[in-house]
Amino acid sequence: QRECLSIHVGQAGIQIGDACWELYCLEHGIHPDGFILDNRKDQLESAETEHMDASFNTFFCETRAGKHVPRALFIDLEPTVIDGIRTGKHRSLFHPEQLVSGKEDAANNYARGHYSLGSEIIDLVLERIRKLAEQCSGLQGFLIFRSLGGGTGSGFTSLLMEHLSIQYGRKTKLEFSVYPAPRISTAVVEPYNSILTTHFTLENSDCTFMVDNEALYDICHHKLGVERPSYTIINRLIGQAVSSITASLRFEGPLNVDLNEFQTNLVPYPRIHFPMTAFAPIISADNAYHKDFSVADITTACFEVSNQLVKCDPRLGKYMACCLLYRGDVVPKDVNAAIAAMKSRNSVQFVDWCPTGFKVGINSQPPMTMPGGEMAKVQQAVCMLSNTTAVVEAWARLNHKFDLMYAKKAFLHWYIREGMEEEEFSEARKDLACLEKDYEEVGQSF
Amino acid sequence: MNDTLTSDVIGRRVSVNGECATVRFYGTVPPVAGLWLGVEWDNPERGKHDGSHGGTVYFKCSHPTGGSFIRPHKANFGVDFLTALRDRYEDEPEDDAKKQIVTIGNIPVETIGFGSVIKKQSQLSELRDISLRSCAVSCSGDKGDIASTCPNIRVVNLSQNLLSAWEEVTDIAEQLRHLEVLDLSENKLRFPLGSPAPVGTFAALKVLVLNRTGVTWAEVLHCAQGWPALEELYLKSNNISISERPADVLQLVRLLDLSSNQSIDENQLFLIAYLPRLERLILGDIGISSLHFPDAGVGCKTAMFPSLQSLVLDDNRISQWSVINELDKLQSLHSLSCLRNPLTVGSEAKTHLQFIIAKIGQLRTLNRCEIRPEERRGAELDYRKAFGKEWKEAGGHQDPDQDRPSEAFLAAHPRYQALCRKYGAPEDGELKTQQPFLLKNQLLTLKINCPDRPDQKALEKQLPDSMTIQKVKGLLSRLLKVPVSDLLLAYESPKMPGREIELENDQQSLQFYSVENGDCLLVRW
Repeated sequence: QRECLSIHVGQAGIQIGDACWELYCLEHGIHPDGFILDNRKDQLESAETEHMDASFNTFFCETRAGKHVPRALFIDLEPTVIDGIRTGKHRSLFHPEQLVSGKEDAANNYARGHYSLGSEIIDLVLERIRKLAEQCSGLQGFLIFRSLGGGTGSGFTSLLMEHLSIQYGRKTKLEFSVYPAPRISTAVVEPYNSILTTHFTLENSDCTFMVDNEALYDICHHKLGVERPSYTIINRLIGQAVSSITASLRFEGPLNVDLNEFQTNLVPYPRIHFPMTAFAPIISADNAYHKDFSVADITTACFEVSNQLVKCDPRLGKYMACCLLYRGDVVPKDVNAAIAAMKSRNSVQFVDWCPTGFKVGINSQPPMTMPGGEMAKVQQAVCMLSNTTAVVEAWARLNHKFDLMYAKKAFLHWYIREGMEEEEFSEARKDLACLEKDYEEVGQSF
Repeated sequence: MNDTLTSDVIGRRVSVNGECATVRFYGTVPPVAGLWLGVEWDNPERGKHDGSHGGTVYFKCSHPTGGSFIRPHKANFGVDFLTALRDRYEDEPEDDAKKQIVTIGNIPVETIGFGSVIKKQSQLSELRDISLRSCAVSCSGDKGDIASTCPNIRVVNLSQNLLSAWEEVTDIAEQLRHLEVLDLSENKLRFPLGSPAPVGTFAALKVLVLNRTGVTWAEVLHCAQGWPALEELYLKSNNISISERPADVLQLVRLLDLSSNQSIDENQLFLIAYLPRLERLILGDIGISSLHFPDAGVGCKTAMFPSLQSLVLDDNRISQWSVINELDKLQSLHSLSCLRNPLTVGSEAKTHLQFIIAKIGQLRTLNRCEIRPEERRGAELDYRKAFGKEWKEAGGHQDPDQDRPSEAFLAAHPRYQALCRKYGAPEDGELKTQQPFLLKNQLLTLKINCPDRPDQKALEKQLPDSMTIQKVKGLLSRLLKVPVSDLLLAYESPKMPGREIELENDQQSLQFYSVENGDCLLVRW
């Protein structure tokens, strides 16, 4: 048993979690109340699907009554968003102790999330995690979902990660972080929060999958035809990406079957751990069955900037690692043909010293979508995880915004009031400057 | 294949170098020796003629360049279902030694676990979700073979193959008892005139895709008797005209996609208006410009399309507000998409979208964007204000006893009264149209006369009506070189000849004294 604990922090983390668990339940045939749909039960009798049983226990815990409870914890410093889960469609899926909320929110302030309010709730949270960990026979590690720009997502997560490193030393920690969208900012201090939390968490996180809101908005606009997507649609899109990334953890699969493998396959140096995600196809439900996308089509699409979940241009950088995971009805013949066709693309440049290479796997489990949702169901899909030096663009943009405000010491008093010092800001900024240099160095030729 | 060809071959679908065609003729074409196939291409410009050659008509094509003669051995008649299935899913796991290393960007591509995938997929009996798109499937093969090899298939994509008749499809489906989703797009199928498929053939079928198959509505209804459980039906790009009401068929259908069928008009829609479960109707790109539900009067709900929740009208020719008014009559509609219609593009697009929200009260999603409560409120208030003047002119009144707007107004704005009840009738103050606040609108052109000084020329100046008398005196003082304290001002208006009005209070403005455009200021000192 190699169980994974999912921890969802702050509004973004919780709402993404809602979309993810909804999708996982659909994929595993679990009802909103935690019980398996009847017809699936018959299939579980057959020998082949015994593997399925074992695999999804990495994410779900089966109680004696036969209910499947997600191995997850939802944390927020204020109750509104968690109340949404407590009263929502999946309220019977989670045990009340898995939904932790405080009384006063972090007000988009890293300091409140990390110091003042965060410190009050951290012990309770660690205790709940301890309880969940005890239910596991062989805990692999943690998946942490949060936004970089929010107060709880940035501040509380960095505090939590520090404690997890201390208490659970060698367990892998993967992050899914929402990077602040330059054009669709919800709070002006997002750069501050993001830089502070990235600096603090850099050593404690093993691999961070970033998701950029602006890239998501563009995908919704251009591929789904939704000009003004609601958070529901955006979160479902993220849910699809997360489902693809965790598919091999939950179903029998070839590639990235455990959290360590992500590190081995994608992270050449500890600090260079920000792979970029792209997936295809993304089709609007109104266009279901109108056009067909072959394996070759979706493979090429992964290398297009419009299918990426982070805004950056890989053609301007170099790849250090790349994983392609196909899902659904995909035959090896088609994949081999698609890869051979990719050969001629000279825009895919790897670093000279590349240790890991280009890994390709197929997971036969078909991709699923929420019925009545914005995306059409497809038979074949692919998700590409690549560690490219181009991702440093995202950090450069954020660092620049940080500098603009910090030069004038704008908004600093909000943080100082909660007990932070200016040195922490300059330290964090220096660390991120070093990160940019690190990326530059790894991208250089010998 | 040559010697086994018989006249049965007529009507078969073939592919030649990737292009599909239907066989229309088989025989000799003098004076050239040997046997020829006469084919009608799917692409009407691919051919050389319309089936006639050297004066003789061998076969008929619907397009002057739609036909060709080709040698039989050049045509690919396709394979049977199982051969295609085996071809795709049964594979020998590659010997590592023989494996060719593909590189991308100088890095070797490592395929992981392909061996076990191939092994798993080769277990044909376990296959559930398959795609045989463009695999040249032309027939079902020997009876019973499919049933014994892969009976568990639930989802099949058979699009872009060489199936030529519905019978071939039923032969395949008969052996797949669990078939739920079938995609037959881009197969030009001939449909049977005789009795439909044996009962139970499509018993589990929920989703059927017949895009670009050339199927007609009558054929759909005829075969639909064999689709008792069908929930989703896709019929895009078939040039369909709805010719009859589905009497006992398609009663469970929840989604119907009729997009890109340009022959559909609004009257045909009445024929599908009573499908009891129809929740989602896709009518994109059908060239429709109007819609009406005659069974319901202004402001009433129609009995047609009782379960319809989501309607797609993208890429049409809707330019009239009457269409939107009609849509409000639908009982269950809460999602509408009407992108790229004349009404929703152009400079007024944003305003029009707001009006659409206001006109359809229960709409929750417009053009795939959720309508938030504040947005609805804003849209409804704007709409109420925008047409307030028209409402008043049509007989509307704030006092409910006197409120009698004309029928024409109510027909054009069926929800107006409801909005007045919700937010109150618009106040007169709200209805005043704003004059654009340009300075030039506020300027008065005035003549300036000095009656006691005949040698002083009359002047003309443009002054804002908000200018105080003190400032006017200051201006005149500079112009006439007279100290301010010596000046006495009055004015006369051509509307009141002979009457002078004194401008004695320095703190008041020209407007206070009702000085108007064209009046004459009288200056004395």
